[in-house]
Amino acid sequence: MTLERRNNPFDSDMARRVRLDGIRKAALDTGRNRLLVTGVMFVLAFAVISGRLIDITILEQGSEPRVAQSEGVTGSTAARADIVDRNGMVLATSLPTASLYADPFDVLDAAEAAAKLNRLFPELAPEGLVERLTSKSHFVWIKRNLTPDQQYEVNRLGIPGLYFQRGERRTYPHGRLAAHVLGLTDVDGRGIAGVEKSMDRVLRAGEAVRLSIDLRVQSLFEEELAKGIRDFSAIGGAGVIMDVRSGELVAMVSLPDFDPNHPATMVADTGFNRTTKGVYEMGSTFKLFTAAMALDSGKVGLEGGYDATHPIQVSRFTITDYHGKRRWLSVREILVYSSNIGAAKMALDVGTERQKDYLKRLGLLEAAAVEVPEIASPLVPAQWREINTMTVAFGHGIAVSPIQMTAGVAALVNGGFRFEPTVLMHEPSLMPAGTRVLSEKTSQRMRALMRLVVVAGTGKNADVPGYLVGGKTGTAEKQVNGRYQGNKLFSSFVGAFPIDAPRYVILAALDEPKPNAQSMGYATGGWVAAPVVSRVVARMAPLVGIEPVTEQREREAMAPVQAVYRVEGARAAR
Amino acid sequence: MMVPLRRIHEPKPSLWSKIWQIHWVFVLLLTATASVGFAMLYSAANGSLDPWADRQMVRFVVGIGLLVAVAVTDIRIWFRYAYVIYFVAFVLLVGVEIMGDIGMGARRWLDVGIISLQPSEVMKIAIALSLARYFHCRSPEEVGRLAWLIPPVLMILAPVGLVLRQPDLGTAVMLMAVGVTVLFLAGVKIWKFVVFGGLGLGAVPLAWNFLHDYQKKRVLTFINPENDPLGSGYHIIQSQIALGSGGIAGKGFLQGTQSHLSFLPEMQTDFIFTMLAEEFGMIGGVVLLSLYALLFIYGYAISMRSRSQFGRLLGLGMTTTFFLYVFINIAMVMGLIPVVGIPLPLVSYGGTAMLSLLFGLGLVMCVYVHRDVAFGRRGLSEDF
Repeated sequence: MTLERRNNPFDSDMARRVRLDGIRKAALDTGRNRLLVTGVMFVLAFAVISGRLIDITILEQGSEPRVAQSEGVTGSTAARADIVDRNGMVLATSLPTASLYADPFDVLDAAEAAAKLNRLFPELAPEGLVERLTSKSHFVWIKRNLTPDQQYEVNRLGIPGLYFQRGERRTYPHGRLAAHVLGLTDVDGRGIAGVEKSMDRVLRAGEAVRLSIDLRVQSLFEEELAKGIRDFSAIGGAGVIMDVRSGELVAMVSLPDFDPNHPATMVADTGFNRTTKGVYEMGSTFKLFTAAMALDSGKVGLEGGYDATHPIQVSRFTITDYHGKRRWLSVREILVYSSNIGAAKMALDVGTERQKDYLKRLGLLEAAAVEVPEIASPLVPAQWREINTMTVAFGHGIAVSPIQMTAGVAALVNGGFRFEPTVLMHEPSLMPAGTRVLSEKTSQRMRALMRLVVVAGTGKNADVPGYLVGGKTGTAEKQVNGRYQGNKLFSSFVGAFPIDAPRYVILAALDEPKPNAQSMGYATGGWVAAPVVSRVVARMAPLVGIEPVTEQREREAMAPVQAVYRVEGARAAR
Repeated sequence: MMVPLRRIHEPKPSLWSKIWQIHWVFVLLLTATASVGFAMLYSAANGSLDPWADRQMVRFVVGIGLLVAVAVTDIRIWFRYAYVIYFVAFVLLVGVEIMGDIGMGARRWLDVGIISLQPSEVMKIAIALSLARYFHCRSPEEVGRLAWLIPPVLMILAPVGLVLRQPDLGTAVMLMAVGVTVLFLAGVKIWKFVVFGGLGLGAVPLAWNFLHDYQKKRVLTFINPENDPLGSGYHIIQSQIALGSGGIAGKGFLQGTQSHLSFLPEMQTDFIFTMLAEEFGMIGGVVLLSLYALLFIYGYAISMRSRSQFGRLLGLGMTTTFFLYVFINIAMVMGLIPVVGIPLPLVSYGGTAMLSLLFGLGLVMCVYVHRDVAFGRRGLSEDF
């Protein structure tokens, strides 16, 4: 065949030649058409991007800058609205100010004007001023946000070409308090973080925003958390208090914090909201979820249990207990002694799919929908194998934000309903309906178990005489570059009170606390975070109108779950 | 082995005459386009040559040297080694697949001693070369047969699959698009594209499962960037704000607030067009687009002028690659298509991209210099 074709030009078979020529001619035509089509497609594609370029630069002008042009530069009179706490205390407000600008074309003697201005504002260098006052523009800023005094002085200078623009300055009367919730605005009065950003449109429209935060509770939580950080030389801390009946966040603390009045104090570390933007492996507090799902799915009863005699070996992982009892443990004991082996076995019993399903419904597998822009998605296993089921059971191999954790625990204690956490106060008439996650019965059992941990387990330091606190401790080694660091812990306590009819869930966490003599050489959640919770509960309960109960009343209140107390030395431990 | 039937005894052109033959207007346009890049990199560094503009200039000069060297090389040499180049590029891609597994992080780079290069860049050129050679050697009847279509389709799909695994969605799309364009220009019947396209679409749900989470996120974010304004949507939204804020005439050189206030991270690479449009407005954007348009028109015209099918397809393949770079990048920053990591050719900061592009355009120049060199279907048997 090859030979034939090579001889083609000399082929004597006319018919064949004509046919081949026909094909060739058709091929040439096709070639030409194809080129044309390709060319036309190039042109069309280019027309599309050119059209879009014109559209975006001229017609659309970008969405945000247009708002800024119409409201910022022309100096609208509608002031940015206040942000207040749930009791109406002002957290952020706008003060009218005057900002000084110049029209260089109206300035007669730039050098003289610069010299005079420099005398008034020593921080403005004369060279820079001259440059600005001689620029080819009709508008240059000289100085923003003058005090009335300064404005008077500038007027007295009598320099032509200087003008004032009415503006406003955002101030935060309480300084650092709730800084991460509030966020802050940029120099043009646009929200750039926190509620200032997420509610920018509402605030700009002049409508005040009422937060669910209780300033008093927020303040005392910040104080106590800061004390915890100081006591144990932690690098930071997080604290959340949530109303279990509505999802409203009464306090949301992240330390270190910043002062929104001085934006320069907001740097990488201080600006980081640990409660929403930080995701952490929570450790043993996750056992609450494991126990809840095991009880709720009927896999085990309160009296049932699992054999925790031997560590579990799965390929290269070994699951062991810190306070190993080396025997069969009941569900109660698994929580009280915080047994990893028991939790892992419990989770296996529940099964991977059901575990995922419960965690999903508890809101632990996707980012919380709280109204601050600084939200992180949880880190969950990409592939959920049996080993993941076991580690997740005790809070490893899954990292969630403290806000997710709090909302999840709220659903365990409030009768089994999950509420979306929110920093905005609900209208009393518009209370949200939660979604049912667990049965009322499971919730009741969980409350009893959580109380038990505080009475007889690792959470003793969270107890407050007269207020029924229940909860669970958690201590997780932090991962640095994929390796667990024994000396870097994330220690937390998550609890609810009053446990017989919970009103609030409270979470306190310390980031990298160091052990000291006060904590008997421990830096675990029970030693460093539980005391913070204890102090916060003791101080906030009177503020929010929760009365202390007598021991008599306490016993009565816990009577329905009294059976659960039957654990060795439960009473003796108090 | 093969018996030459005829020999064209033309005088071997001298090196200087070849260099003189290079389309210098084209090179001038290239330089103008690259200069826009230098200016933007100067601005991106807040009015400083360091750290980007100076290096970019050096690379451009080296690249032009490379372009000239490629252009004066006899086109039949490129023809002869087309498959070899493809093979080497393929082996390098496989190498990335293997070596990359060892060194955690990004798998796109291969360290070959002195330089580290991105095999996928080499592949963009190699695929056009080898497809051009393949179809050069096919008679029109052969092109029409399905069996003859299997090798080129494999030639395209094999590297696309490897690049997808890296994973580099943008490059995979480009390789695919270039391959399909060459197939189309070579005269493959339309219904075959329809069938293959249909099969491909059918495989989309399947492919979705193979995408990495971050890639899925990009596609989803493209559909609704407001969804995740701080995460993956951030770039697109900020980019559009910056583009829009430029207006007709722009804010002026070095005056782009969005870019300079770091609202746009990495503006020296993929999002440099945004900066241009912010500082020079629509006018600046249109000027750059016009420069590109002229380059495409020249590339297109040069390719059509070639007497050999190889030259024609090679030139069109490289011009198409160039075109796709520009189109994908600009459409991306304007939010018309998802964010894929494709730089703006000649303008974005980056060494490998610049060198491989100028190498590819060097091939276009080579086609131009050797436009009258005709060689048969078995090309090499003659004139060598």
